[in-house]
Amino acid sequence: MRRYTLGLGGREFVIDVQEIDADRFEVVVGGERYEVKLAGDEDLPESTITPGLVPPPGSDGPARPAATAAATRSVPARSSATAAASSRPAAGAGPSALNAPMPGVILELYVKAGDKVERGQQIAVLDAMKMHNLIGAPRAGTIAEVCVEAGQAVGHGDAIVRFAEG
Amino acid sequence: MIGPDTLSLLLQGLAHVTAQSLVMMVVALVLLYLGIAKGYEPLLLLPIGAGCLLANLPLSPLIAEDGMLRVLYDMGIRNELFPLLIFIGIGALTDFGPLLENPRLVLLGAAGQFGIFLTLLLALALGFTRPEAASIGIIGAIDGPTSIYVSGLLAPHLLGPITVAAYSYMSLVPIILPPIMKLLTTPAERRIRMPYSQRVISRRTRILFPIVVTVLVGTLVPFATPLIGMLMLGNLMKESGAVERLTKASAQEIANTVTLFLGLAIGSTMVGSEFLKLSTLAILVLGIVAFAVDAVAGVLFAKLLNKLGGGTVNPLIGAAGISAFPMAARVVQRVAQEEDFENFLLMHAMGANAAGQVASVVAGGVLLALMGAG
Repeated sequence: MRRYTLGLGGREFVIDVQEIDADRFEVVVGGERYEVKLAGDEDLPESTITPGLVPPPGSDGPARPAATAAATRSVPARSSATAAASSRPAAGAGPSALNAPMPGVILELYVKAGDKVERGQQIAVLDAMKMHNLIGAPRAGTIAEVCVEAGQAVGHGDAIVRFAEG
Repeated sequence: MIGPDTLSLLLQGLAHVTAQSLVMMVVALVLLYLGIAKGYEPLLLLPIGAGCLLANLPLSPLIAEDGMLRVLYDMGIRNELFPLLIFIGIGALTDFGPLLENPRLVLLGAAGQFGIFLTLLLALALGFTRPEAASIGIIGAIDGPTSIYVSGLLAPHLLGPITVAAYSYMSLVPIILPPIMKLLTTPAERRIRMPYSQRVISRRTRILFPIVVTVLVGTLVPFATPLIGMLMLGNLMKESGAVERLTKASAQEIANTVTLFLGLAIGSTMVGSEFLKLSTLAILVLGIVAFAVDAVAGVLFAKLLNKLGGGTVNPLIGAAGISAFPMAARVVQRVAQEEDFENFLLMHAMGANAAGQVASVVAGGVLLALMGAG
């Protein structure tokens, strides 16, 4: 389970999100329990509201302003042990990150922290269902962090690289 | 010892070279070239080419009574053993997970078999007999073992050309599919994204799936029982995880061994007098028609699903409804990514592709039932 504390117009909300399936979540807001079905998920790297909401890389505090739709979706809510063992998902893996589009194994990484990339530039090769998939940068920017290593297994939505702000 | 016949005895090989056998040796060399230099399904085309070459050498002892190629043919082609053994391996390599995550993809697999039946009608119109026409139509499944199985039962004399057509077109999937897919879809349709929903498929479901499918299909289409039974046996071994050694043997050692035997034996059926006929050419042409129509039907059906689903189905995945697992699914992913590099349809395409694999087996069984084979 993951707990978000959001400040919205001066009021504070505590939201607990528990993943049931990849697309079904149990969400508790102010004591009210909702079953939430995720209808679609898309990264919106160029959306105007997201950059300001993205926490600096590494900040993993509970009070992250993760209120964007994209950030909510990337809450794998796994047990912290497995999460730490794999790839630190959800730690700011919002729209300013490139997430694995499907489960697989990272075969190659073509960037390192500090690299400047163009939109569409090849970032990694993901082996899924024995096919080598080219993963391109969703936006232009600077790579703040590479979250995976070659040879590492990733789950759907796990961050591959994170972009620096700006 | 040395007498008037000595020279002719020594040179009887040379004396038995015929124009037909020379042509067939050239065919064999073309197959070897395609396999080795072009990389078209080398695992099959190389043994088939070698078998063809060896069988067409003058007075080849290999296809005489008790010759090795004849023995292989009798051992595993005439009684359908080899394609069935291959199917265990295919089952052990197939992941039905994507299909279980999105069961409606079964419909695409069914649509991807339409060309089989259309081609059957075309072949009938061209004067092939009913069993021959059915065997030719099954090329459209783009599934080698199924084609061998069906034509071996219905029209063994056409086995050579049908197998060569099936495997050649299988290797041409990456070349034949994309133009069809692009012709039938708009760029906007190709850009439709399908979110990957990682529904967790329980181990129990994965284990029950092959059993349920076998019982269901076997009851509905008894003629498909051998194929579906072996496919699902392989899958049951894989998903149960209980017999890893057998799974590995089926997917690797047995499949490899049988592939060699199968290729050689098929190649040995390609003897000049049987192969060099106008009908071979017709089979090659009809086979590609069957393939193309299958792909068209799959894409059009996916377009229909997209209309009904309010724009949530990328029509490209319909092309994976033909068999040719998992190549067709990869081609779908590639074409989708050409249009939008952030679009990942692979899992959906794999689901449709696995459905196509099962559906082509069922289609084979339906054909056998229609033809009253047994």
